[in-house]
Amino acid sequence: MSHYRFNTQAAFAIFLIVLTSIYASQILELGIPFSTGGEPGPAFLPVALCLFMYLAGLRILHAQLTEVEPVIDEEPKSDTVPRLAQVGPQVVLVLTMLYLLAFPWIGYFFSTVFYTLLIALFFNYEFSGNWKDAAWKSALTAVAITAFGWLFFVQLFGLFLPVWGG
Amino acid sequence: MLADLGGGFAALFQPMTFLFLVGGFMLGLFFGAIPGLTATLAIAILLPFTFGMEVTQALVMVMGIYMAGIYAGSITGITVNIPGAPSGVMTSYEGYAMMKRGEGPRALGLSAFASLIGGLVGSVLLMFLAEPISRVALLFQTPDKFSLVLLAIVTVTIVSSGSLWKASMAMAIGLAISTVGIDPMVPVGRFDFGSYYMIEGITLLPAVIGLFAICELFVQAATPSKIAFADAPEVHKRLGPRDFIPSRADLREVGAATYAKSSVIGVLIGMLPGGGASMASFIAYAEAKRGARKPEEYGKGSIQGLSASEAANNAMCGGAIVPLLTIGIPGDAVTAIIFGVFLIHGLVPGPGLLANSFDVVAPMFAALVVASLLIFVSVLLFGPLYMRLARINRGILYGVISMVSVVGVYASTYSMFQMWMALAIGAFAFGFRRFGYPLLPLLMGIILGPYFEEFLRRSLIVSEGSPLIFLTQPFSLAFLLLTVLFIWLLRIRPARRAKQGLRP
Repeated sequence: MSHYRFNTQAAFAIFLIVLTSIYASQILELGIPFSTGGEPGPAFLPVALCLFMYLAGLRILHAQLTEVEPVIDEEPKSDTVPRLAQVGPQVVLVLTMLYLLAFPWIGYFFSTVFYTLLIALFFNYEFSGNWKDAAWKSALTAVAITAFGWLFFVQLFGLFLPVWGG
Repeated sequence: MLADLGGGFAALFQPMTFLFLVGGFMLGLFFGAIPGLTATLAIAILLPFTFGMEVTQALVMVMGIYMAGIYAGSITGITVNIPGAPSGVMTSYEGYAMMKRGEGPRALGLSAFASLIGGLVGSVLLMFLAEPISRVALLFQTPDKFSLVLLAIVTVTIVSSGSLWKASMAMAIGLAISTVGIDPMVPVGRFDFGSYYMIEGITLLPAVIGLFAICELFVQAATPSKIAFADAPEVHKRLGPRDFIPSRADLREVGAATYAKSSVIGVLIGMLPGGGASMASFIAYAEAKRGARKPEEYGKGSIQGLSASEAANNAMCGGAIVPLLTIGIPGDAVTAIIFGVFLIHGLVPGPGLLANSFDVVAPMFAALVVASLLIFVSVLLFGPLYMRLARINRGILYGVISMVSVVGVYASTYSMFQMWMALAIGAFAFGFRRFGYPLLPLLMGIILGPYFEEFLRRSLIVSEGSPLIFLTQPFSLAFLLLTVLFIWLLRIRPARRAKQGLRP
């Protein structure tokens, strides 16, 4: 008798099935997959892909739920940041979202200095566990990276950046 | 053709072009040598910059990154037992054993020499194979092209490690992403959800930056530094170039046959879609061990095993370029991004490219040859530095990567929407990696999706909806049979043998 056990792998499979449903919700607007002459239209490939993604998603979900003994790798632990495997990506995600929000408003220089400062601070603190040491190293790093980016993108390759924002 | 090839080498004599090659080479060396960073990531980050370059400079730089990145995967593999790239695993296996015996410089020297030989063999074969193959490819009709894209898609999916269903799901999602935006054949917007931004589709640049650069940032943020810096090497302060030159006795022990056989294996595997440097190095290593005079030394620091693995993975570079240039099919992540570099500059890889723009492509070939030579020069110049490379400050490293990734997308698209898209794809890719879904099929789906759909629909329009058209065209039938053969060889047969308890 199969034993169903919910886990994060199964949750991710459900997430993919939900994404497939969001994708599928738009197919109706594309008309029928084949015209009367048998010619495939804009909906042809999306319909085929949806069917396949549902099949694969359900197959993966079933496999994850019925796995006899789910292999759980012990996550490597950091000496300085608790639950690094979860906290680390969340910190990077939030910092990058804030950067994207600030970039068009306050411009490249200020937003990039703060963004790279905080990213470097996170990695340096995780390494040393010493805020003071991590802070001054990160400040120097942030200024250098911001200057490097401006020289590279704007001066060397002639690309545009909103320098001061506004 | 020879005149164009000569022109390609002459182009490298222009100081700026040569600087781009050396710059790309150094970038590849750096990224390849840092565990967690790869040549793929280096080229992905470079992609926005190529907008501001001439096409020759962009291609030459990319070739420098490619060759150096594949080689450099072995550097930290030898010095700290953490291969910079999966292709450096077998080299690490033997090289680190040598390192522990105090023979690090010997291992680094032999590794660089084998990479030089492999790289040269791969480049020369590329030059001679590219044009004949592209002449045949010019004969392909639309159903043939569809079956060829199908072959690439299926092969990349089935060679992915882990669950076949997960790899297939990744490929299907990649294809689905490629359908967002204007339909390739009818002026109709698809999956735009009423958004003005979505109608432009999800372009290659945010996809590549998200899948490789931003995703890597998440992965590294979740990795403790004590793991990234594990087994710090002993620093050798007084090493000189001579310490890294292989001795004649060592070269004789490895043998010309090992270099030649491994290089040819590398080229052939590189030409297969989904082949890649890792597969090339594993197979060449296994083949060298099978025919070795001293198989008992394998795993304990065999210089023959190390050389076979390194020759094969660098020979793969030339091989992987063959299908990209001749039939327009990228076989791995790096060539998929190089495909993007061509598109950015208005060139479409495929048979027409070599026929019409051989002069544009010739510097690429020359760059591969020169980059192979630079590998050996680099170990003489930077060998002592390699011993310390793995200990670079992570704050600086990931600060640079985060800035270049995000700002790079803006600088090349001037679109905040594409920046958000890169972040979303990066977060999605992180989930993929964490839950064991391969990223390469996803990328291949995004890149090959438009071709897959267009060739499929055009073929079915010609045949009035009959799929038999794919079986009645000789080339198409051959590609379909090849697809079935690959499925049999790479999935069904190993599974059956595993079930029977035999060696897969």
